[in-house]
Amino acid sequence: MQSKTSFFNMALFKKNISRTWIAGLLYFVLLLLMLPVYFVINTANINGDDWYTRLGYTMEMRLYEHMSSIPTTFLAIIISIIVTGITFWYLFNRRDNYMMHSFPVSRRSLFFTGILSSLTVSLLPVVLVSVIMTIAAAARGCSGLVCIWYWALIVAVSTLLFTAIAIFSLMISGQIVTGIIFYFIFNFLYLMMEIAFRLTASILIWGLSETMNGIQYKIWTPVLYIPDKAKVLSNIVMDDNYTQVIHFDHSFMGGDILAIYAVAAIVIIIVSYQLYRFKKLETVLDFIAVPFMKPVFSVGMSFFISMVAGAFISGMVEALTPLSYDTKFGIAIISALILGVIIYFATQMLIEKTLRVFCAKKAFHCGIYSLAALAILLCMRLDVIGIENKVPALKDIEWAGIENDYTMVFTDEMEIEAFRQMHQNFLTDKKELRNINYNYPDVDGKTFSIRYKLKNGDIVIRSYPVINTEASVVSSEYLAATQPILDFVNNPGRIKEHVIGNIWNNCEVKSMDFGIVIDVPETHDYYMEYTEFDELSTKEKKAKFKRVYDEFLKDVDAGKVFQQSFAGYDYQYDANQKTTLYNSFDFVIKNPDVLYFSDSDTFYDNDYGTSGDVLHEQSIYVELNTDCTNTLKALKDEGFYSDEKDLITNYDFSRKYESYGYSDSDDYVYEDPDGDLAPWD
Amino acid sequence: MIQVSNVTKKFGDFIALDDLNMHVEKGAIYGLVGPNGAGKSTIIRHLCGVYKQDAGQVLIDGQPVYENQAIKSRYTVIPDDIFFFTQANTMDMMKFYKNMYPNFDEALFKKIMDCFPAINPKKMVRSLSKGMQKQVAFMLSIAARPELMILDEPVDGLDPVMRRQIWSLIMSDVAENGLTVLVSSHNLRELEDVCDHVGIMNNGKILIERSLDELQTSITKIQIAFEGDMPQLPDDITVLKKITNGRVHTLIVKGEPRAAEQAIGQMNPLLMDVLPLTLEEIFIYELGGENYAVKDIIF
Repeated sequence: MQSKTSFFNMALFKKNISRTWIAGLLYFVLLLLMLPVYFVINTANINGDDWYTRLGYTMEMRLYEHMSSIPTTFLAIIISIIVTGITFWYLFNRRDNYMMHSFPVSRRSLFFTGILSSLTVSLLPVVLVSVIMTIAAAARGCSGLVCIWYWALIVAVSTLLFTAIAIFSLMISGQIVTGIIFYFIFNFLYLMMEIAFRLTASILIWGLSETMNGIQYKIWTPVLYIPDKAKVLSNIVMDDNYTQVIHFDHSFMGGDILAIYAVAAIVIIIVSYQLYRFKKLETVLDFIAVPFMKPVFSVGMSFFISMVAGAFISGMVEALTPLSYDTKFGIAIISALILGVIIYFATQMLIEKTLRVFCAKKAFHCGIYSLAALAILLCMRLDVIGIENKVPALKDIEWAGIENDYTMVFTDEMEIEAFRQMHQNFLTDKKELRNINYNYPDVDGKTFSIRYKLKNGDIVIRSYPVINTEASVVSSEYLAATQPILDFVNNPGRIKEHVIGNIWNNCEVKSMDFGIVIDVPETHDYYMEYTEFDELSTKEKKAKFKRVYDEFLKDVDAGKVFQQSFAGYDYQYDANQKTTLYNSFDFVIKNPDVLYFSDSDTFYDNDYGTSGDVLHEQSIYVELNTDCTNTLKALKDEGFYSDEKDLITNYDFSRKYESYGYSDSDDYVYEDPDGDLAPWD
Repeated sequence: MIQVSNVTKKFGDFIALDDLNMHVEKGAIYGLVGPNGAGKSTIIRHLCGVYKQDAGQVLIDGQPVYENQAIKSRYTVIPDDIFFFTQANTMDMMKFYKNMYPNFDEALFKKIMDCFPAINPKKMVRSLSKGMQKQVAFMLSIAARPELMILDEPVDGLDPVMRRQIWSLIMSDVAENGLTVLVSSHNLRELEDVCDHVGIMNNGKILIERSLDELQTSITKIQIAFEGDMPQLPDDITVLKKITNGRVHTLIVKGEPRAAEQAIGQMNPLLMDVLPLTLEEIFIYELGGENYAVKDIIF
């Protein structure tokens, strides 16, 4: 009669603990230093008259700041594999493996006792240090001690999850080193696959060259996702001058995420147990001990490595010579298939521990793999899943943005829809557009970007290479495809709303500067001088600035400033040398009642400042040109400069000061058709 | 006690056990012999519950062994390469065995320890010599009061005195408690002294499985000499090997020795000696018939 076996064996538990306690002790010491010791040292100088206290920091704030800065998953991921690896060490040594399984103890007992002892050694230090930290914080007069235990909960769930992943990884291989490598592969598998796809797409797929910037940590990469989504959050807001705390709040993020991971950990543990139950012990020292993982490993490695490598090879060839889109993809596919076959057989050699892996059966399997890989790469080429043509649905979009010479972000539904339509029309001409580097290798150009922030938090990024629409060789089809975008972004209304900002017509002009170049002939040098208007009151100055600003808006309406093009930056600079002014012009607009919406900060998902007027004002820098007659006249009338001679174009400045070495340039030849500029000497 | 029926085990394409049958009586000391790669360790690992057979049955006391905690607690195993926990001394291991084996007899363990005065019980077992580690393994194993002991090359690395001492302990356990012993060894002379049953393995099969007495009377060495040439032997005498040296012929004859002696005696030889074979000679002759590579080495 088969005996009834238990899940737990005390003798084994004690033996496991006796082999792993040293790792637990070191972990405890590390945590002790990071939590209570560091906290006590950091708060030792608080005496009621210290700098922090004068700022208004309370002990509770210090505690929350401290706890929110302590790592969670990065500690758990390391301790879990160390302790689990030592506990299940016997699985990777023939002698130990055979003897352990000869003892009158079931695999169920071995497995669950091992898990329990691993968790005990990994979690006990966390609990003990949390107790000590609680006592230390309470002794320092802290309230809000619950944050310590929320941190402990995050670490505990992370440890449970990583222990589960560790035991799963160790069950997959018969070699401890390979098992540990698998552990880290599994932890970063999703991220690595995403990077592989994005890397390939960024090289091969039109419009996705910036797609590597759109990576966001997903739930499948808990080591990065947990710190992002589950944490002790403290928010301390200072006043404008950083002299006083004006607001403090705190929260505990990610309880639901932790619950999901806890359930996932239990599922992984159960799956791992099933692997152990049916594991053949003769697979000790095998590279992969579980039969179904062998093709997964072989095909997975072959596909992802060859796909990325193939894309890189085609990218390298394109760097040497312009390629058409089809040729580029062809090179990538052929390279990927050849490399895939090589990697496939290399992984077979690893798995079977022999060089003799070439046989008809494996050749057949490799052939099937190659066909599947070819199909996937062709699907990418033919855009079967619609990545190239993807324009998110209006209902899914939080904002849409474009970056060319300036950045614009649209949040209004009608504007987003107009933007979507423009993008969709642009994509219908992709055959004309995606070969421009091949068709017009000598025409200058640049890349403009489009981003959609979706309501689910995802970001869709597209980036398109474009060429100068003013070049004589470009086709009418190309012009028809690209001009609507320039028309869209050069619309004066949009320029005012998005380049100057949402407070453009409802603001005061806080400050304004116009720089005049002053010669210093003695040293062949110059300096920039600004009119200060010190004799005027603040109100008078603001009125003066506002008058110039109003005239400046007229130039915006007339399409004289902030106009964008697809010309290359060097070309643009060179072409406009004689009209753009070297004189600097900038001003600060402010509305204390309306938040300033920063298009560029939104576009790049930057965090705003944490306090005060930063969100209510914006500094605007303008490159004026000789056509900005309204602005220049107003600046002169208001006394920012007095003589036309105070104005100097970039061209004149370069000629006069040769400060940027243009006279030595190989590819730029100065012409002075009027002959009115004498060299400095 | 042990019943192995039609067990097959494959490692990839290699057949390690090929429809193997084996039977060990309760209270027997069963010697498992065979050349390297015959499958001895593989069948022992099946009996230990380490491997699971692809086909057939492995029963101990009528119960399947694999994942059977109850039956495994009734026998102990001493492998060739012994496992002890790192950092564990003899007393730690004793505590572990005590928790593992319900019949573990601590008093007996301490009594046996007196037989092995060279072993320091406080010293880490892994730091002891291989021979001493074997002694500790025997102490633990015997003190567990098993009904069956499975030994793989058990006295390898032990000095002659210690070998005798250990066998003496085992034999007394067999006599007093009806212990069954399955022992795999290449030391056939030693097995001959202790075993009452023998199984000879080759290529994953048991070729012969008999009591030692029966085995030793089933093959005979007969030395004969005739005045002239040796006459034709009767067809019912199976000669495994014949070597002629002058007028003296040495025959290895399979079958009942008295019948062979009687048949040859009727041919009026000048000289006839019937000699028993050692286990080692039987092993070599039997495997010689199986195309074993050393078939001619003893002549």
